[in-house]
Amino acid sequence: MTPLFVAEALLIALGSGFLGALLGLGGGVIMVPLLVFALGLPIHIAAGASIVAVVATSSASASVYVRDEITNMRLGMFLELATTLGAVTGAGLMAGASEAILKTVFGATLLYASGVMWHQMRSTGRSWVPMPNDHFAEKLGLGGSYYDAARGETISYGVSRSLPTFAISYIAGVVSGLLGIGGGGIKVPAMNAVSSVPMKAAVATSNFMIGVTAAASALVYIRNGFCDGFVTAPVVLGTLIGSLIGARVALRVRGVMLKRVFIVVLLALGLRMILSGVGLV
Amino acid sequence: MSVRRLELFVSMVLRGGVLVSGAFMVAGLALLWLTGDVSCPFGVLTLEWVIWGDPFLAPSHVLFLGFLILVATPVVRVAASVVAYISDGDWVFAAITGAVLLVLVAGMVMGLG
Repeated sequence: MTPLFVAEALLIALGSGFLGALLGLGGGVIMVPLLVFALGLPIHIAAGASIVAVVATSSASASVYVRDEITNMRLGMFLELATTLGAVTGAGLMAGASEAILKTVFGATLLYASGVMWHQMRSTGRSWVPMPNDHFAEKLGLGGSYYDAARGETISYGVSRSLPTFAISYIAGVVSGLLGIGGGGIKVPAMNAVSSVPMKAAVATSNFMIGVTAAASALVYIRNGFCDGFVTAPVVLGTLIGSLIGARVALRVRGVMLKRVFIVVLLALGLRMILSGVGLV
Repeated sequence: MSVRRLELFVSMVLRGGVLVSGAFMVAGLALLWLTGDVSCPFGVLTLEWVIWGDPFLAPSHVLFLGFLILVATPVVRVAASVVAYISDGDWVFAAITGAVLLVLVAGMVMGLG
């Protein structure tokens, strides 16, 4: 392990931790290809380092988002029930599923989600459409509010269509279990575009949830092949720093800007997933 | 517990986990650099190594403890919320977070099994 390697790993981790925290993605989908192509790491070592790094992104950014009251903890814990159940189902299905088909479908879903979000933003000019709580969300008290530092005002919002979002979160969990990813690319659009949660709250709440889904997979990885620890440590440290910065930046950026960046990144991730699914990457 | 206090409590758990695990990882890398000891167990880790290391607090052992603390952080966060909701008498959310904890632990046991 040369100093140059450590420096490169740290830099890649800083970048994906930053983007992951900023966009609620966890960052694994960004990190793995970079570690494989830029550092020449074998895919299983990259994936192992990345799954631990996803836990780092989630916990570090959530410590900032929760403290600053951006995270909707009730909504997060409600949807966590769906994602963890889904992840266990997904891990159980592992043997029967074709990874190629799964990746292609997942990629197409991301493209569709970015299209819906883009259309919504274009037609309303906002990062979210205010809606009241639905019946179920009202009962559970899922709606929330936060102080938006970029706008200088407190934003209150309801959670509409909470059950469809719960169902989508379950599927996001299944996909996480099957592909070993955080699933933020599905959770954020579900909260924002389906349940009309403001972009910033959706990003913060997604980051809050991701760590729980990733923790079980990370534990299994660590236990099964630990010698990659010397690679994982600099990656995780870089991620911790990157995501602390990313969460602080997200607090100050406008929701519309956040959504624009999110749509572009989601588009890229969707395309990459499809290409990987059909065997081109 | 008020919503605000619950938030500060959860944020503190997360921050604590991140800082302590980060400190272990920095210490592990520093030890690695100082001692040049790149030894580490091969294959699936044994419980004995997890607790005692070989030797105790070898660079690889320190790093491992850091990863373990990091991965435990979200689990501890969920467990802490269960306790907080129970003490609040918020039974619906105590049940929801309790179920999450149960599935999470079951998933971990299944994965390790």
